[in-house]
Amino acid sequence: MMTLHGLPILSILLLLPLLGAAACFLLRDERQVRTVAIVSATLALASALTAVLLFDAEHGDFQLQEKHVWIPSLKLHYFVGVDGLSILFLPATTLLFLCAIVTTGRGVKPLPNLHFALILLFETATLGIFCALDTLLFFFFWELTLLPLYFLIGLWGLGAQGRAAATRYFLVMLVGGVPLLFAFITLAANAGWAFDLPTLLSHEPEHGLQLLVFVLFLVGFGVKVPVVPLHAWMPSLALGGPAAVTALMVGLKLGAYGLLRFAIPLAPTVAQELHWLLAGLGTVGILYGAVAALAQSNLRNVVAYASVSHVGMVLLGLASFTVAGVQGAVLLLLSFSISTGGLFLLLGILQCRIGSTDLSALGGVRQRMPRLAAAFLVFGLTGLGLPGTSGFPAEFLIIVSTLQTHSGAALAALFGMVVGAGAFLGPYRTAFFGPIRRPAVAEVEDLLPREYAVALAFLFLTLCFGLYPMPWLDLMRAAAESWVLHLPARVL
Amino acid sequence: MKEIYWAEQAAYPVLLALQLLPLIGGLLLYALRQRTWAVALGRVFFLGELLLAADLYRRIDAASSVLQLAERVSWLLYHTGADGVTALFVMVTALIGLLLSLYEPARERMGHALLLVIVLLSQAALMTMLVTTNLLWFSAASALELTLVAVLLRIWASGDAGDLAYARFIQYQGFGWLLFVAGSVVLAWGHADATGGAWSFDLHDLILTPPLGKFQSAAFFLLFYGLAVRTPLFPLHGWLPNMTQYGTIAIAPTLLLGVKVGIYGMARFILPLTPEAVEVWQIYVVAFAGTGVFFTAALALLQTNLRRLLAFAVVSHTSLIVIGLFTLHPLGVQGALLLAVNFGFAVTVMLLMVAFVFKRTQTAELSELGGLFERIPFIAVAFLIGGFSIVGMPGTPGFDAAHLVLEASIERFGALPTVAVSLGNVAAAGFLLWAFQRAFLAPAPEGGTPRAIERVRPMEYLLGGLTLFVLLVAGFLPEPWLNLTEAATQAMVARFGSGG
Repeated sequence: MMTLHGLPILSILLLLPLLGAAACFLLRDERQVRTVAIVSATLALASALTAVLLFDAEHGDFQLQEKHVWIPSLKLHYFVGVDGLSILFLPATTLLFLCAIVTTGRGVKPLPNLHFALILLFETATLGIFCALDTLLFFFFWELTLLPLYFLIGLWGLGAQGRAAATRYFLVMLVGGVPLLFAFITLAANAGWAFDLPTLLSHEPEHGLQLLVFVLFLVGFGVKVPVVPLHAWMPSLALGGPAAVTALMVGLKLGAYGLLRFAIPLAPTVAQELHWLLAGLGTVGILYGAVAALAQSNLRNVVAYASVSHVGMVLLGLASFTVAGVQGAVLLLLSFSISTGGLFLLLGILQCRIGSTDLSALGGVRQRMPRLAAAFLVFGLTGLGLPGTSGFPAEFLIIVSTLQTHSGAALAALFGMVVGAGAFLGPYRTAFFGPIRRPAVAEVEDLLPREYAVALAFLFLTLCFGLYPMPWLDLMRAAAESWVLHLPARVL
Repeated sequence: MKEIYWAEQAAYPVLLALQLLPLIGGLLLYALRQRTWAVALGRVFFLGELLLAADLYRRIDAASSVLQLAERVSWLLYHTGADGVTALFVMVTALIGLLLSLYEPARERMGHALLLVIVLLSQAALMTMLVTTNLLWFSAASALELTLVAVLLRIWASGDAGDLAYARFIQYQGFGWLLFVAGSVVLAWGHADATGGAWSFDLHDLILTPPLGKFQSAAFFLLFYGLAVRTPLFPLHGWLPNMTQYGTIAIAPTLLLGVKVGIYGMARFILPLTPEAVEVWQIYVVAFAGTGVFFTAALALLQTNLRRLLAFAVVSHTSLIVIGLFTLHPLGVQGALLLAVNFGFAVTVMLLMVAFVFKRTQTAELSELGGLFERIPFIAVAFLIGGFSIVGMPGTPGFDAAHLVLEASIERFGALPTVAVSLGNVAAAGFLLWAFQRAFLAPAPEGGTPRAIERVRPMEYLLGGLTLFVLLVAGFLPEPWLNLTEAATQAMVARFGSGG
């Protein structure tokens, strides 16, 4: 293993999907395109796992760093690296992308080559977000996600609804990008025009500036999370977007990662002073998402609102500003990639076979699709934090640490989880049990072998994280400790 | 103001060659326009011009802010000079000329060779405007170019709407041109007053004798509004929408909008020659421009015609350039000039792509378009990347330039106005995406006659590929352009304090 040190593994990781995208774009035959996409996504997964092996969990600072000057006049550096909080997102991301590509149904129309090229481009941009240690580079990747998403939703989404969702998503994210860019520029101006994260972390801005920056971050990342008043883009996307892409977007909580990586460490004092705001937004999200999920008639929207509820839990974990809370938050984010990502992939299969995920069009699906129904149930229960699934240790850590810091919010969150359980199990019963009501359901085919393999892989992971979380928690402990230590003395 | 003569830097007068080559090419092509190989000959001239521009780039010392490769013929009042900014504008002008020579218009109203004659002559005029330091030469070249575009417009724009477009163009541009000449006269008069009767229109002389008080304000306003009509800047943009809708689709708008000589003129002449007035009126100009960003973005959202919509997009982003210019901050001015180049080029790309669409559909009405992406994805993507560059997406040159403008604007005006302006830019993203969605992604309208949309042709691949290549390379590797313009822009704003 020692010989691998010094290998620019993160750059290789970023480059592989990009090369795959270029190759896909140049090919014409759908079968070849799909093969190339799967191969490059697999290689990316392999290099992400290599990065995890090379990672030294004892140290809490950034590792596997690579730094090159890109645009000197703008002080833009190509600067990548990972720490214990971000390293696990790399395999999670690459795995989710691989599964999304594998489960995409045959006969993508139009332009299959462009479809897979854009998914791989989106993969590079997403990985870049998790690796970037230069704020401008981060912003570059952040905005780069929009281009593939716009086309993926607009061209392969569901009709006019998909196109409207694409434009709306693009504009909302562009508006959200403005405060982010301003926060980054303001911070850089304060630190002598440095955009790299380690330098910025060593220059704590004065109080007024921190307040400005934190609010800008909260708006900018909050749109992406989505935090409750800024979530309006999400349901239309869940309904209109193509399933694989929705799984990627909802499964990977880039906004929450942004809060964890940039917003709180770069405005540490104000973030702690505003702990009530974070905890409040989190609690509102948990309750609102759960109640709104109760009122949905389409499974896609049920899952979308449930994820609003889950990400509220992440915010709550961050607001505790404890090591356990942060570990729980990161673990919960990873757990989502599996559970919510898996749910949307399964919904994509349902949509593809039955033509709808509306509750009125379903019913009795379990009789024809027992495998899908079982996997759906487990992923759903993972989201609810059932013991034995990956959701449990994560939510347990969060609840335990917030009970000490924000008791009221933690109790409200527990209540929200109960409502969330109802919001999931009710529609699940309607859709999967009971008599078959529609002819489309009566003839439907269960999971194909490749889809089944994906579902099993996700099941394995959720049980693995759920039953034995210690290795993963150890991997992020040092980084979580230095994250908490970086915050000034507690004001709570 | 110092300068370096051409003999010290080059074996031949590069700037003169840049102006003469297209002029000679245009005249020669006019004489030979009946030959079958005339068009090919024209393209050779455009290619030659691009090579000359590259040679200029090679010879310019970007680290020095003085005007270089200067040429002077006193009795003709002929005086030229170039710095890094000039080199950048010259290169883009030459490149746009080459692109236009490859493009064949959808509606043949005149021979292709004759069309190239007009483009070549316009290019000569544009080159003169970029390299001259004499206000009279600038005005004369401007008049020549406007006349050429007016000729194009007269031939293409037919019917009542066309007549209106033509009339508006003549009225606005004639008026703007007169304002600019009047402003030049005020400056020259001031010079004569200060030196005891020696009239001069030369930048090098005028910079020593800025007029006093009210006269400087008068000169500033005359020159500024003269160029503002040309640029065009809100609220003096009345000629543009009609022209883009009813004139030639790509050629005439590109000649006027692709190379932003108006912005270049403001940086070259107005900032150095009327510094105190600029400082006094800075805030009003910025306020007007800020309004313009939003007002025209709102108007753009209301358009139903793709060509007209592009016109409003131009006005909207031009306001952003002016804000950058009037930060009077080295970074802001540099960003504004780079934005000007980038917007000009991006708009050229978009106009060309719209022209390709028009050739297939014979309409630019958004309600009659749709369903084009599957047939002509390459054209659609090129159109969108052009749009992204205007919006300032990272990875396009628009981002690097807009980033500089925003940095400078935060420093000069604070965060709030800057945030407001960037939201205006997001509004621009809104209407461009909306247009893209309706024209390319939405299903073809029902009830209309089904169209057989021709696939992308090799020449269109070449044109689109070339423009995309330039946009993406300049976006990912902006360092050469930033270096090229840094020293020159610092010299332009040297009078306004260091700016931090």
